[in-house]
Amino acid sequence: MFVYEKKLQYPVRIKNPNPALAKFIITQYGGPDGELSASLRYLSQRYAMPYPALKATLTDIGVEELGHLEMIGAIVHQLTRNMTVEQAKEAGFQEYFVDHTAGVYAQAAAGWPFNAASFAVKGDVIADLTEDMGAEQKARATYDNILRMADDPDVIDVIRLLREREVVHFQRFGEAMELAVSQMDKRNIYAVNPAFDRPMGK
Amino acid sequence: MANNTSNTCTYREGPLPACQALAVPMVPAQQSSQPAYDSGEALAKGTLFPGLDLPFMDYVATGPAENTPLGELMALDFVLQELALYLDTHPEDSEAFKTWKSFASLAEKGRKRYVELYGPVTRRDTAGFNAWVWPEDPWPWDNGGKGGKC
Repeated sequence: MFVYEKKLQYPVRIKNPNPALAKFIITQYGGPDGELSASLRYLSQRYAMPYPALKATLTDIGVEELGHLEMIGAIVHQLTRNMTVEQAKEAGFQEYFVDHTAGVYAQAAAGWPFNAASFAVKGDVIADLTEDMGAEQKARATYDNILRMADDPDVIDVIRLLREREVVHFQRFGEAMELAVSQMDKRNIYAVNPAFDRPMGK
Repeated sequence: MANNTSNTCTYREGPLPACQALAVPMVPAQQSSQPAYDSGEALAKGTLFPGLDLPFMDYVATGPAENTPLGELMALDFVLQELALYLDTHPEDSEAFKTWKSFASLAEKGRKRYVELYGPVTRRDTAGFNAWVWPEDPWPWDNGGKGGKC
């Protein structure tokens, strides 16, 4: 069950419309390494995860990513809410505008609609945690690229924070991996998949 | 976490376990919830822990240096989230749990103060009001939300 909190994790206050920025930041809403992918990847991986500490990690990071989805939505909304049609045209925002006006739609920067393939649930403890560590790095690198191109300090400040969260999450998934491995067969951690075969050890 | 560690590494380097399985990704485990930033600085930087504060091209935090009830609540809730993620992978760190509990109590007070001034944070908070004020603008994505600076 989820309870909504009527506040953001971190304030988003963007003064000036800038559809050119919205055009690529939208990728962290509905792109392959975006917040929606991250959130539902972790929340979906929980069901097959046999270890309590890892169920908690996947839940708590997955929920935080949902909060980040809301922040990215707020950025895109605030960058486009007061734009004129002229600004949209100048920014090369026509393709998005004609389909979604100033709504927030889950798509990648190149226009592909959100693809559930990015959830990446294998049902295997080591494979899923390795995926999650890679996912955090890909999200971090995407935010690096956004920071390279963004020119509005109001936007940069929020993106910088979201990027830092990926670094912290990577650390926690790394520690979660160690917790998982420490409960597997020491002689051969690949002897079984504890998410499916009879759990080894405790 | 493996306790078989060397004391010759600095905090940022993180002491490594002496023995480690091959063919598995390995990230050095954070050894302590200290040192830590204070809550406002933690929210501004995006992490509670100086050892994890690794900005891109040294982009420095500019905000939210905000002494509003909303800013304070965000900072306290942020510390709770950050410590919770730490505790999920360090469930036996009783010092960190004690810190989490003291922040939980501060955040509870901060939440009450915010709700009295600006309105419900969760829908259930609406029970303390005389009317159904839950839908009132601004919502969080508009102008920083209720009690946020525009």
